Amino acid sequence: MATKPLNVLLFGTAGVFISLLGMILVIANHWNSSEVWSGLSVVLSCVLALVGLLGVGGVSSGVVSLLVAPRAKDKTGFDLGLSMISLLPAILLAVVAVVLVEALIHAFQIPVAQIPAPTAVIQKFLESRQVLWRDTQTTLLEAGIGYVIGASLGILMAILVSRYQFLNKGLMPYATIFSSIPIVALAPVIVKAAGLEWGSKAAVVAITIFFPVLVNTARGLLEVNPLTIDLMRSYAADPRRVFLDLRIPNALPYIFNALKISTTLALIGAIVAEFFGSTGSGLGFRILVETGQASFDSVWAAINIASFLGIVFYNLAALLERRVTGWHVSFRE
Amino acid sequence: MTNAISPLVAVNDVSMIYRTRAPNGEALETVALKNANLEINQGEFISLIGPSGCGKTTLLRLLADLIQPTSGSIGIGGKTPQQAREARAYGYVFQAPALFDWRTVMGNVMLPLEIMGYNLADRKARAENMLALVGLEKFSKNFPWQLSGGMQQRVSIARALAFEPQLLFMDEPFGALDEITRENLNLELLRLWRETGKTIIFVTHSIPEAVFLSTRVVVMTPRPGKIEKIVNVDLPHPRDFDTRESPRFFEIATEIRESLRHGHGYEGNE
Amino acid sequence: MTRSRNFVPMLVVGVVLIALYFPIMLLANYPAAARALQRGAVLECKTALECSFDMRSPIIPAPAQLLIGFSSLYFPPTSETSVPYNAFFTGLETLSGLLLASIVGLGLSVLLVASRAFERALLPWLVASQTVPIIAIAPMLAVLLGQYGVEGWIPKAIIAAYIAFFPIAIGVSKGLRSPDPIQVDLMKTYNAGSLQTFAKLRFPSSIPYLFTAFKVSVTAALIGAIISESATISGAGLGKMLSENSRASDAVGLWLVMIGSAILGILLVSIVGWLERVVTPWQRNH
Repeated sequence: MATKPLNVLLFGTAGVFISLLGMILVIANHWNSSEVWSGLSVVLSCVLALVGLLGVGGVSSGVVSLLVAPRAKDKTGFDLGLSMISLLPAILLAVVAVVLVEALIHAFQIPVAQIPAPTAVIQKFLESRQVLWRDTQTTLLEAGIGYVIGASLGILMAILVSRYQFLNKGLMPYATIFSSIPIVALAPVIVKAAGLEWGSKAAVVAITIFFPVLVNTARGLLEVNPLTIDLMRSYAADPRRVFLDLRIPNALPYIFNALKISTTLALIGAIVAEFFGSTGSGLGFRILVETGQASFDSVWAAINIASFLGIVFYNLAALLERRVTGWHVSFRE
Repeated sequence: MTNAISPLVAVNDVSMIYRTRAPNGEALETVALKNANLEINQGEFISLIGPSGCGKTTLLRLLADLIQPTSGSIGIGGKTPQQAREARAYGYVFQAPALFDWRTVMGNVMLPLEIMGYNLADRKARAENMLALVGLEKFSKNFPWQLSGGMQQRVSIARALAFEPQLLFMDEPFGALDEITRENLNLELLRLWRETGKTIIFVTHSIPEAVFLSTRVVVMTPRPGKIEKIVNVDLPHPRDFDTRESPRFFEIATEIRESLRHGHGYEGNE
Repeated sequence: MTRSRNFVPMLVVGVVLIALYFPIMLLANYPAAARALQRGAVLECKTALECSFDMRSPIIPAPAQLLIGFSSLYFPPTSETSVPYNAFFTGLETLSGLLLASIVGLGLSVLLVASRAFERALLPWLVASQTVPIIAIAPMLAVLLGQYGVEGWIPKAIIAAYIAFFPIAIGVSKGLRSPDPIQVDLMKTYNAGSLQTFAKLRFPSSIPYLFTAFKVSVTAALIGAIISESATISGAGLGKMLSENSRASDAVGLWLVMIGSAILGILLVSIVGWLERVVTPWQRNH
């Protein structure tokens, strides 16, 4: 596993050179006589592009190893600057990948109706930013409201479940079963029943995240170390105190874990529900409509926004988690 | 026991220094082992004893070529540790059983034989023999989690013996077990050693265990890790539970305890 | 989990849920039914209450309507328009997607574990992918694959694989790294080569992680398959049925397809659980 950074650097550079050389040859050939080569050259240049990407990964991580390795041996030495440096290969890889895709698409003149070039996507993004902004707002509203409602109901129900053994036995088996139901099937039914407005999509989101939040929170509230319960008993603490001082703190890491997973689920729920009916805005709606018209530049723009939202939403939840449960084992180095 | 002309294991002035960096970038040097010298003859049972940080596990890992010394040389039967490892000249029993969860007891014992390319019939026969030797033949089809900690460690001993190495390294194999289980396993190990005539190098932090098992006890002390003293154990064989209550046993245990304490005083002079 | 002790509470909760269905259904359907009567639509039913049970396009279908629909949509199961027939195809697509994803995921994980360079450059993106609604790409991918002439069940399996791939790749690379350092040392004392260490130690230790990833991704893969079916409306599958019924505003049909998908989802999860028990008999919690 411990490849020497210098070797990595060497191989990486070699990879980049080979792929650049090959690409130039292939593209030149393509322009000279496109007929015979075109199929083969597409495949060839894809392979070469992959080699090039590997090379970039090699070069950048070799550099990082040389820069970071002497300091990173000690795990406590990780600070912000260091982790930014260690992200460098990933960022570089993405940049080079985007540039390569752009070059390949132009070289082979692939139409927008198949794969749009990254610049075309950016251009489209700027052109229709008002429409996309409205779509983003709609989806955010649906996902946000649904998230808040679903999470609060899930936590409330989990408290009831932890309080009444009967509910625990009677409801939780259903909850586990329900969580294996695909939301796509749920979405059209709910959209049909609750209308095309944003409310129906929020309902889909709420239902989607209700079960994971319920299951996780209930587990956190119930799986308390029996010794600590005995300890509370030895203090003659009443059930309210046990709940506040023991069960809730014990459940917090579980709750936040569920809240983090749910951010992605909420966006998936909102987008999927929009596939089955909306009032004409929303990222899911945009993706579906533009797919139908084969304007894939718009689709990619919408997908990128959705991905960005997903990352932001998740990291907000993670930030909140860090604030509230910073004492938990998972944050120790 | 010392009838061999040249020692089986020869440790010549071996040091092991770890260089790390503190979070503030300051260079740190940890001397895990300093100028160790030791000769071990064929058929001996040697215990390495000392508090944590005294370099006993480091010394064992050096012998096994799991790490390489900063300076000095090691010979194992006239070979370097690496050559010895490549010739599969020793078996190693770790602190934890380190059994593979997905293999049955039998499968675990057969693992080294598979890697070394024995054929199936041979593997089975040897594994069965070894399991019988540690008294676990009835459990050959069980998975590791179905066994108690002591039984798991016995499986790992059977695994180390499976390819019949003449040399056995044991790194606190009974450290995680309760005292009663441990004393029973000590007795069994001693029987194994007498029956097979192997050379065993055994790391422990228990004085009674070291005295009970060994022909010689190597007392090690920390900061820096070094060999403080080598104590001869002249208790007669075969040893049994009564051995632990003999006056000589206590004399030797006291001698080891005192040299451990002497080494501890070194800390104050630093 | 002892099933017998849970049985009575589960039964009570189940009965309560079913009993709640009627008032909710009435609450949803009554206004619509009243409006229809007011408009003077020619209906067989007299009062709005009666009509709530018997609307052509109910908001929430009445149990009797579901039963009638059930007999026409589930029987005979071999019919091309029946739910079981289409569910079979969707299930097949999802499972082949999972298989494809685990092959590619395993390959990538081996590279990730073997090469630090690869890991540094790729792992952050794999991790970030977990927080991204990948499903958004499904309709476009389905159409795009169709343009290149990939049709039938294969594009759906590819999309299912694409969605399941990320958790599997992360899970397996975690699994390949999971062996205890002393187990690695043990292999070293046997002078085992890296291929042997992989085959005898790393690969087997990654299998439980593979199944954990499966459990996370099987439902996601199913969603991917259904979405891509509904985006292309070609071949068979529950997604095709969903979009057809959705377009025809057939609420009863939608409900029945939903129930079918729910059963398929539960079935797929249990298949994965069963596979795990068969493939990893050594695990304690079975």
